[in-house]
Amino acid sequence: MHRVSKLPVSLRTALLLIVPVAVGLLAACTPDNNQSTFGTAGPVASDQADLFIFIFWIAVVVFILVEGAVIYASIRYRRRSKSDKLPYQTHGNDKLEITWTIIPVLILIAIAIPTLTDIWEQQNGAPTDRGEVLSVEAIGHQWWFEFRYPDHEVITANELHIPVNRPVGFKLESQDVIHSFWVPKIAGKVDMVPLNDNYLWMMADEVGEYYGQCAEFCGIAHAHMRFRVIVHTEEDFNAWVAGMHTASDPPAAGSAEASGKTLFAGNCSSCHTTNSTAPGSYAQEISSQQARWNGWVSDIENSGIVSAPNLTHFGTRSTLASGIKDLNQESLVEWITDPSSIKIGTRMQDHAAIYKTADGKAKLTDDEISDIAKYLLSLKPGSGTTDQTMGASTGGDVDAVELFTTNCAACHSTGDDKIVGPGLAGIGDQAGNRVDGLSADEYLEQSLREPDAYIVDGFTPGLMPNWEKLGDDSIDALVTYLKTMK
Amino acid sequence: MTTNALTFPRFFPRPQSETGIWGWIGTVDHKRIGTLYGITSFLWFLIAGVEALLIRVQLASAENTFIGPEFYNQLFTMHGTTMVFLVIMPLSAAFFNWLIPLQIGARDVAFPRLNALSYWVFLFGSLIMNAGWLTGDAPNGGWFGYAPNSGVTFNPGLGMTYWVVGLNILGVASIAAGLNFIVTIMNMRAPGMSMFKMPVFTWMTLITSVLLVLAMPILAVAGIQLQTDRVYGTHFFNSLAGGDPVMWQHIFWLFGHPEVYILILPAMGIVSEVLPTFSRKPLFGYPFVVFAGIVIGFMGWFVWSHHMFTVGLGPAANTAFAMSTMLIAVPTGVKIFNWIGTLWRGNIQLNTAMLFSISFIAMFTIGGLSGVMHASPPTDSQQQDTYFVVAHFHYVLVGGALLGIFSGIYFWWPKFTGWFLNEKLGIANWALMMIGFNLQFGPQHWLGMDGMPRRIYTYAENMGWEGSNLAASIGGFILGFGILLFIINMIYSRMNKKIAPADPWDGRTLEWSTSSPPPVHDFDEVPQVKYRDDFWFKKHPETISEYYHNEHDLVVEEDAPVGADDAEEHGDDHGGHGGIHLPDKSYYPFILGVGIAIFGIGFLTNTYVIAAGVPIFIWGMLGWSMEPVNDPT
Amino acid sequence: MTQAAITEHHTPVEETSTGLNNRKLLMWAFLGSDVMFFGAFIATYLVYRGKSLVGPYPSEVLNIPITTVSTFVLLMSSLAMVLALHYVKEGEKNKGTLWILVVVVLGAIFMGFQFVEFREFAHLGLTPRTNIFGTTFFILTGIHGAHVTIGVIWMAFLAYSSNNGALRSDNALDLEIAGLYWHFVDIVWIVIFTVIYLISANDAPPPGMETITH
Repeated sequence: MHRVSKLPVSLRTALLLIVPVAVGLLAACTPDNNQSTFGTAGPVASDQADLFIFIFWIAVVVFILVEGAVIYASIRYRRRSKSDKLPYQTHGNDKLEITWTIIPVLILIAIAIPTLTDIWEQQNGAPTDRGEVLSVEAIGHQWWFEFRYPDHEVITANELHIPVNRPVGFKLESQDVIHSFWVPKIAGKVDMVPLNDNYLWMMADEVGEYYGQCAEFCGIAHAHMRFRVIVHTEEDFNAWVAGMHTASDPPAAGSAEASGKTLFAGNCSSCHTTNSTAPGSYAQEISSQQARWNGWVSDIENSGIVSAPNLTHFGTRSTLASGIKDLNQESLVEWITDPSSIKIGTRMQDHAAIYKTADGKAKLTDDEISDIAKYLLSLKPGSGTTDQTMGASTGGDVDAVELFTTNCAACHSTGDDKIVGPGLAGIGDQAGNRVDGLSADEYLEQSLREPDAYIVDGFTPGLMPNWEKLGDDSIDALVTYLKTMK
Repeated sequence: MTTNALTFPRFFPRPQSETGIWGWIGTVDHKRIGTLYGITSFLWFLIAGVEALLIRVQLASAENTFIGPEFYNQLFTMHGTTMVFLVIMPLSAAFFNWLIPLQIGARDVAFPRLNALSYWVFLFGSLIMNAGWLTGDAPNGGWFGYAPNSGVTFNPGLGMTYWVVGLNILGVASIAAGLNFIVTIMNMRAPGMSMFKMPVFTWMTLITSVLLVLAMPILAVAGIQLQTDRVYGTHFFNSLAGGDPVMWQHIFWLFGHPEVYILILPAMGIVSEVLPTFSRKPLFGYPFVVFAGIVIGFMGWFVWSHHMFTVGLGPAANTAFAMSTMLIAVPTGVKIFNWIGTLWRGNIQLNTAMLFSISFIAMFTIGGLSGVMHASPPTDSQQQDTYFVVAHFHYVLVGGALLGIFSGIYFWWPKFTGWFLNEKLGIANWALMMIGFNLQFGPQHWLGMDGMPRRIYTYAENMGWEGSNLAASIGGFILGFGILLFIINMIYSRMNKKIAPADPWDGRTLEWSTSSPPPVHDFDEVPQVKYRDDFWFKKHPETISEYYHNEHDLVVEEDAPVGADDAEEHGDDHGGHGGIHLPDKSYYPFILGVGIAIFGIGFLTNTYVIAAGVPIFIWGMLGWSMEPVNDPT
Repeated sequence: MTQAAITEHHTPVEETSTGLNNRKLLMWAFLGSDVMFFGAFIATYLVYRGKSLVGPYPSEVLNIPITTVSTFVLLMSSLAMVLALHYVKEGEKNKGTLWILVVVVLGAIFMGFQFVEFREFAHLGLTPRTNIFGTTFFILTGIHGAHVTIGVIWMAFLAYSSNNGALRSDNALDLEIAGLYWHFVDIVWIVIFTVIYLISANDAPPPGMETITH
């Protein structure tokens, strides 16, 4: 009586069309798109996509049956005329009820089984049988990503480098708000939650560059908190690590880069480290980053410092401002001049002294900005033969600015801002008056060799390391440099 | 008639006016309060719609600069908050108010003045919540207010304080309304109406009310904690002092998931009334639909962590919550199958109300199926916080709750007003809404699978998201035009009144047995109930044996000891609101509401303002408690 | 339908579907709601136990003997409540009034203990802003204190009613409903006393983090 053949022809065609439409829907998610969850490049993401497609086809079947029944019933049993014969007033059918309770249970069990295997495979730590696990600590900051490689003592930001076909175990952290770490083509997301470190493993099985993005609403620049994952062959990855331990060649004297370097040291180096290549600089950068955070959080309104991306070998990167723009001289100049033209709400523009202007743009000339950009773009692994332990002097010329940037700027600003230690503006004038009987030279040298001898009021002893290891030449150079800060 | 000798000095006479602003402020009539809820929440609906359209304009193209991130964050925060707390919940409350006394054969709710208080507190709470738009400081931390982004450290300014204070005030209104409807439904049923003879809408209202009463206090706790954090510097969610951000999420979603059912169950109740009426046969499997509702209301408490699959609770917790989440799909499926069973072999009249209800089944099914997709944590890890989830819950809350509510509006409009809404405009309204809705939210499924996160105010050109976003934006405007047609329909039908009889649809439940619109006292004579769908079976007695072919059914259900006979035994109430009551009007609910609103303003401005609210609050309380329900005549 | 027809149905007695008085059912439902309210606060306290980054810590400030006394006072007020209801139902106006007053006084004494305790803690350097313990302790006990305060005002109002004859045996339900509330608040205190004072009173500061030396 209610055979399908009784269906209107148009309805039958409509039902037949649903399958190709469903296939079309899946195809509409172009696997080539940068953040498509379908064109996967790793086992975690591809397992997740397979599970999705499995559930999707079950859903398609249920969808056809349910929607088909709704449409069929609505058309087949619609009131055709004014004739108003009452239908049979049935109260229901218990057997049917039991049937359509049990069938969904069975379907859900079918979905639950692969779900469980995937949960325990993906969320229970990195596999031990797929090769040596690379450890990475990923830290979400408002609004950029920091990546630390504890095994290799490398720190970088916004561009994550990993080797192909090797599991990577992530420790996900955040100090400020909740972020979420997500590289759709390689693995589903896991949140970065303050006070709650999370773990995630992923593995890329194709060399290439992949898009990542913060997936948890984290404030004003959430839309612009992106990153890239660069998957290398094992050799290329090792080369990249080696490069991260090779200092940049110092810019030629008198060049635009050299001028940029000085400007950078004066205006940017309180927050951005540019030289984390030497052994020991890894631990130092971690404590500096903590110090910047402490500085910001202790005085959010007025702080002159804030957590900031490490810019070591910045010139090797391909993107700017956490994966938003291609990195080149032009975009970098635009960025330094007015970050909000690229990314609204950056902490840099809110806090760095050079942006304390009426229109929020940097108080630097176009030439100066261009020089800084050139300097930053020149930051690449150098010829790399010298052992540049902490920038220690090996005889010959000592670059005091370089020394200061590398060793001191993380804790001392060249302005009035407190980071860990006091700001050094005017130190050249004041050094001679600080302690009776010590000249400026003597006081400064003493402070470098025995930091705890004369602690400035309000600062804690025991924090500043003893810098004797730099060697006499370097200390002399630093003292001379400090005396120029009027 | 009161026996309490205590009196409180009156500064003005008890309200008498039936009309004008004072008539509305003093009203305690459930029908007029229902109308107030309906109008207020419809206005918020229009505002939330404008917010949504601004969002859609901004997202229509990549790298759009139509609005900036500050404004965008306020827009999506307030769109979500408004739609949940100021539109769907109070629109449901409008139906509760209008229909529950009528469906159970009562003359009003159990506590008419408490009912008025709920409305006024809701109104003031909604105004405080939105006050930020006037100061340019609208809430911007998302409707979910995740800590620590909602705390003062990362979100200084008043924005989220408006949000949390408004939410706390709204919570008072919701709890009061929930308590009132629990007591009304449990205690005020017409003689003979046992629990399993109640209309399904009444059942769903009861379950919703229980959920409100149990879930809103949890939100209140989260709200109070965030509020003291923001206003007084406590550390509940201050991660710098050890306050755990995950704690907020647990508390919020422990409220938040029952909340989802608070939003959808009333619409399910509406659909369960509309489908039988226009199929001209009883709801298929009534006890199963009711029981499925109860199971949903119960299991809704054990699935909250599926909102937190990516928070890092570990594989064991994710397994447990994946299982419970999948399980809750079963009773939902049972409901859908029973609705189809109701259509089956019916005599279906495809008018506007029915089309909305049938669309509810169709669209809600899609939302349910996508829900199963992220009940699985591995697939959810790709979908969480993407547009896939946005698509999912819009299919549930627009395709589900709102379509159900529109169905209810067209269905009961003649009862509310005494005249019909125009059918041709109605069908055009339905068609535009359906086209627009699907064009807007359909493509968002694959935007999500293509990796577009939620809550981003802009996106890059090279992501392949532009086409779908443009389609969604166009769909948004078509949906908007659909809503506009509804407004036009209301105006047109008002100007060309087609008068409705008491029972225009050959209805099944008691509200159709009284005039349209009902008299102030609802029923001239208190109905005596014998059957489920009592009104129908009394109109069509020849069909009784078709429904009750098993004598056993009737006997079991009739033994509920309800009636006037045993009334003497518990005649211990001195207040005079006995079985039939038609309470006098009162200003005190409004006054008490003002007092509570001033407390809220105090938290936003200055502690001394709170003190200013105290005398008004006490005035309202004392005046209320010493004012007899009915003045002696 | 005429006005007369409506009033014809007006009976002074209450008939409800469940047989339970409306207001009594309302109070029961409200208490169910309040269980969730206190439950969430108590859960917060328990989850946050031992999460303070700085002192003072529970073992340094909590005084179990004194709080035991105040707990006893509150428990006795529930006994007084039972007696008050008994006498009001019996129609013994003076005894009823007296026992309601005892409830008021015992409730007020409990509030006094809490006030003194709060002041003492503030003196020891513990405020809601000090640390996680301070935050969770003060807000939880403060919310409970607010419930007690409302109860005391309510009871004072009923004592006044009883004294001038407005509260009698035929409307003893007014007192019974207030009593439901009062007993509930009392029971909640037993839970709070257990989780805060008995269970976590020994939560000592980590070594070297002592802030108070007695």
